[in-house]
Amino acid sequence: MNYIFEIIGFILIVLTLLMQWEVYVTNIILLFSLSTVFVSTFLVLLGFSRPEGNYLLFVLAGLTLTIRGIVIPVIMSRALHRLYDKPWRVREDKPMMGVGGSILVSLVLIVLGYYIYQNSLYEVLKIRSGAVPFALFMQASLLIISRRHAYIQMIGFLVMENAVVMLSGWVFSGLPFVVEAGAILDLLGLVVVSSLIIRVREQAIMEEGESYESELRG
Amino acid sequence: MNTTDLFYLLPIGCSVGGAILCLIPIPWFERIVSLIASITAFLSAIYILVFLPTMTNSYVYIDGLSKLVLFTVALVYVSTVLYSLTYLKHIKNPLFKTRLYYLLLNVFASTMFFSVSMDNIGLIWVGIEATTVSSALLVATENNNATIESAWRYVIIVSTGLVISLIATTFIYGSSGTLSISQLMIYHPVNRVFLIGILLAIIGFGTKAGIFPMHTWLPDVHGKAPAPVSAIFSGVLLPVALYAMARVIQIYPSPVVTTFALTLGVLTVVVAALMMTVQENYKRMFAYSSMENMGMILIGFSLGQGGLLGAVIIIIAHGLAKSAVFFFTGDVLSTYGSTSMGDVKGLLGRLPRTAGGLFMGAMAVTGAPPFPVFIGELFIFAELIRQYGWGIAATVMLFLAIAFISVNFKVGKMIFTGGKLYPKEKAHKATWVPIVNLSLSLLSLFFIPYFEQFLHKFLIP
Repeated sequence: MNYIFEIIGFILIVLTLLMQWEVYVTNIILLFSLSTVFVSTFLVLLGFSRPEGNYLLFVLAGLTLTIRGIVIPVIMSRALHRLYDKPWRVREDKPMMGVGGSILVSLVLIVLGYYIYQNSLYEVLKIRSGAVPFALFMQASLLIISRRHAYIQMIGFLVMENAVVMLSGWVFSGLPFVVEAGAILDLLGLVVVSSLIIRVREQAIMEEGESYESELRG
Repeated sequence: MNTTDLFYLLPIGCSVGGAILCLIPIPWFERIVSLIASITAFLSAIYILVFLPTMTNSYVYIDGLSKLVLFTVALVYVSTVLYSLTYLKHIKNPLFKTRLYYLLLNVFASTMFFSVSMDNIGLIWVGIEATTVSSALLVATENNNATIESAWRYVIIVSTGLVISLIATTFIYGSSGTLSISQLMIYHPVNRVFLIGILLAIIGFGTKAGIFPMHTWLPDVHGKAPAPVSAIFSGVLLPVALYAMARVIQIYPSPVVTTFALTLGVLTVVVAALMMTVQENYKRMFAYSSMENMGMILIGFSLGQGGLLGAVIIIIAHGLAKSAVFFFTGDVLSTYGSTSMGDVKGLLGRLPRTAGGLFMGAMAVTGAPPFPVFIGELFIFAELIRQYGWGIAATVMLFLAIAFISVNFKVGKMIFTGGKLYPKEKAHKATWVPIVNLSLSLLSLFFIPYFEQFLHKFLIP
């Protein structure tokens, strides 16, 4: 089973690399939705690999797929449709670094994640591919830092949460169901609230051509 | 859970009930309901504080520390609702209806009550993350580009920081098999994974508490949020996040953990004090003042014993005084229409009651004697000198002095310069709310022996 987990981890890393490469927001949302399908698959397989008490993992997989994989992308897509005439053409215009640079940095972060894991936790955990969630986490951080578009930053945050799900299930024995379910509900609330804030923010940026970060200085 | 245990959840129940009733579309109903909800939550917090013993079951953990924080949250919650009743009319183009504002305020209070009542680190995380969800829109109430930008920064920075504490939770659970605070205080594993979990939890929850280096959202939000929201943020939201950090430190008070927390606390005080010197926006300046106080509280928690007592004194006294200060800044902003210190002159002549209150409030939050923040700092310094000698204590004292001079000099300039520029104006209706808060902050001085009793089990060397 560990072999299949490694393949899923590899697919998730590739999908996040594709997010770094992509500039169109709708495509990034789709990629995130797809990566969440793989996270749910991972949870189902994890449930099968556990001898007992695995039904909660199936429930968690269902919740993850429904809320993170379907509801959240739908909310974000709808918000895009409300905000833009041609939502499929909305793209990151001013990334902090170019596509080539961000992929390169992303690869460096994967290696760094692996290095940190090997030298800090591997000795204790003894799970060879435990570095995958760490690499995912670092890639997600890069997505937040390197992009200015609020929706893409939000996706970066959601990828981070997926990395935590992978970490807790793969490396450790998972979190209690009540905590995981609470985290998913929090996430849903956060996306709903953020969509409202982002809509007003992006509207202002479209009208004025820049964000209002400078007005926050005091 | 038996019937008596449910009393411990009354503050949560009252605020959630208030939030639900806010959905009924009757004019002014949401204000009356919120007022009743906050007062009943406050009364139930007093009941828990005075009459109910320490309690723990598999979900709830209420000891002396939780009781004192619950009480402070409830008190600031009532005063925020009271101040909002008249303040909201000054917001010209709100993002949403008044009903939604009160609904979110009640939900926000309930998530804070939830966070300080849980026995499970994971559920505390859920509660603290829920405070972000419920308060993000409150930050954007004023509906201008700058407030929207600050709300977005708040969401993305704090949520990302809190992911670190979620990772920490997986480490703690993975290595110990439980997330129960009461169980972890009795027994916890001593290994590298558990230690990393504890350290990550300190960083993650520190984001929400405005602890260096994840503090950058704090001045933006306090600078742009409406006065009642800044008040409840500074007064109790930051201490609620610090409460989570205190629990984590109490679980595993090893030298590595306490030194790490102490270092972050000292750096927070240093950075906040330096930033205060260059601020031109009075709300941002008070935000950095909150950061400085959070740094002191973290130092107190890291030291334990007398330091812990000092930290709790600051939580209560600062919570009341800083909420009062932000309410006063609401009066100033609604009169002058600017948050720039350069635009505020002759405050004493124009709004004498607000000016006097703001002056006293600034003294209180910067630790002027005899305000309790000063006493709390004395306890912390005594413990710091006992454990680490004079070097670190002298450094912290120096930066506290810088903060003290910065804040009081700048506030003094707003109050005392430009004496006859404006005629005297009628005091704002709700100015009595911060005056009461400030008086209660001062009066808390007389309750320090009782705080000591509540924290008794943590104060034994």
